[in-house]
Amino acid sequence: MKLKLKLALFNLLSKLAFAGLFLLLMPYIVERINLRHIDNELILKREQVISLISEIGIEPFITSDSADAFGSFNILKEEFVSLEKTSLTEDVNQIEVASRLIDDEEIDYRVLNYSFMVDGQTFLLEVGKSLSSILFAEQNIRHIVLLFLIFIVTITFFVDVLYNNLLLRPLHSIIKKLKKIPDPALFDKTPVRTSTSDFRRLDSALTELMENINSLFRKEKEITVNISHELLTPVSVLRSKLENLLLREDMDEEIQNKIEESLKTLHRLQTLVNSLLMIARIESHQYLREDTFSIKEVLQDIIMEIKPIAEDSGITLRKEITDELQYSKANRSLIFSMFYNVLNNSVKNTPSLGEILVKCNRLHGNFNVEISDNGIGMTEMQKSRLFSRFKMKDKSSSDGTGIGLAIAKTIADFHKIEVSVTSEPSKGTKFSFIFPGNS
Amino acid sequence: MNVLIVEDEKSLALEISEFLKKHNILCDLAYNGIDASEKIAVNLYDFVLLDLGLPDYNGLDLIKEARKNNNEASFIIITARGAVEDKVRGLDLGADDYLAKPFALTELLSRINAVARRKFKVSTSDIVLGDFIVNIQSRKLLCSGTEVDLTKKEFDLLQYLLLNRNKVLTRHQLYEHIWGNILDDQYDSNFIDVHIKNLRKKLNLHAPAPWLETVRGVGYRISIEEKE
Repeated sequence: MKLKLKLALFNLLSKLAFAGLFLLLMPYIVERINLRHIDNELILKREQVISLISEIGIEPFITSDSADAFGSFNILKEEFVSLEKTSLTEDVNQIEVASRLIDDEEIDYRVLNYSFMVDGQTFLLEVGKSLSSILFAEQNIRHIVLLFLIFIVTITFFVDVLYNNLLLRPLHSIIKKLKKIPDPALFDKTPVRTSTSDFRRLDSALTELMENINSLFRKEKEITVNISHELLTPVSVLRSKLENLLLREDMDEEIQNKIEESLKTLHRLQTLVNSLLMIARIESHQYLREDTFSIKEVLQDIIMEIKPIAEDSGITLRKEITDELQYSKANRSLIFSMFYNVLNNSVKNTPSLGEILVKCNRLHGNFNVEISDNGIGMTEMQKSRLFSRFKMKDKSSSDGTGIGLAIAKTIADFHKIEVSVTSEPSKGTKFSFIFPGNS
Repeated sequence: MNVLIVEDEKSLALEISEFLKKHNILCDLAYNGIDASEKIAVNLYDFVLLDLGLPDYNGLDLIKEARKNNNEASFIIITARGAVEDKVRGLDLGADDYLAKPFALTELLSRINAVARRKFKVSTSDIVLGDFIVNIQSRKLLCSGTEVDLTKKEFDLLQYLLLNRNKVLTRHQLYEHIWGNILDDQYDSNFIDVHIKNLRKKLNLHAPAPWLETVRGVGYRISIEEKE
């Protein structure tokens, strides 16, 4: 999962959790606050009533002849006060929620009970306040809070996502930089613009790492080139000596054959060194890419080269060249070598009466060359190491070093041509070359 | 013809000169750049075989010096460096050809001959091969008046064998001459055999060609009696 998505999800979940917790606790808290508020009010009322009684006496409320109780409530039944004689002996001073029947209507009240004595008679004072309006208010508040929370969560979520995007943008450009490079030499060294020091450090660490890798690669290539050069001179000396020997007329056949054997071995060494040198040179971009040429012509030239060999082995070489590409900014001899190596490989791996097809067309805007045979094919294992150097599929063939396909692959990479292979044992092999889209 | 061989690897220089002397080419040797520079200034050479990797001298400077002094010598660059820029720079400076080490001595001879043909505009006389006549200039092979239709590769093979007549050429030497170094890694002795087989087939349609010999285990040879 992407970091951006993870952050956004976490953000959303944590906000929802907080909002949920708040919604859960809010009614309780609000209720407590309201009740305390009401209680204070009730106590105030009680004090008022008590002070009124102490001022004007109990008589105005309760006369000895009339009923033992006095009650008063406002029209909306919001509040009431009642006073009655009681026979209770202990003191009462409590506040509770209780329902009272007033005019045939049962209403929940917060009720304050208070007992006091006047002239040796105990009276019970009740002051009540209706809870219905409060409950109603609480509900309203809950709705408002819910709406508000939804609004806040949504807004902050989007703001967070936007900010995260902004914050993570340098990271994305670093990732993009990494994605683009098949070769550390091509790593974009321009620093990513960011004020986040962590990203700056990551970026500079990566750049440094790439430079290190690159210099190691360069050194390796230099060593390959240097060793190859050093090897080529002694090979050259040996070769000239042997060739001169071969020209002597006084030699018997056995010595002649021995010299030729030695020359063959020397050629193998020479081929190996030259191949390594060639790969190192291509990889260190020593070949120029400034030719413009027709791929069709290159293929036709190669087919002409290979045809006699193929025919000699009883292989039919067919071509289906339907499209043409004027390939520019390329190296003709390298491209020639690439196709030649692959086609030659096909000839070597196709038995007599087999068929090789060279196809050339345009697919989805990309120019495409296919070389397919119905030869011996390859297993997955063989396929996986097809392009690696010095891993010959068949040790029995004495010619060649098995490095031809590795060279072809190096050339393809150098030209950014995509090579893919499909193969099945005893069914055949198909090489596809997809040329870069803008060529 | 006389040639100066500029090569710091003594034994290689000696082998080259031994080979060229057999082909009636006069050879002079220089093992370092200063020596070479002097010799080029003093003597008139037809060819200078120049190794670019000299310890004391940038080989390319020798070409510049020679050109400044209006020296007419043709330069054939020999180098193990083989880097593309060297090749391009060398040819830009007016070198006539370029050979990468290690090369076949027969290939060197063929290059010298090719440059000489261009330079001196010598018309090589027709070569008689049994019932066949080879004309190098027009690249034609005739048999009692009718042209034998050969592919470019087949004629190249014939010409190379002819240049080194009475000498065995190995398959690899032939392959290198025809396909060059770029396809070296794909060397397959079968290639030459197939082309020789095709060449023989075409020749035999016109007349027997016993002069094209297979030297068992080694390679091929054209044998003709030189009439001096």
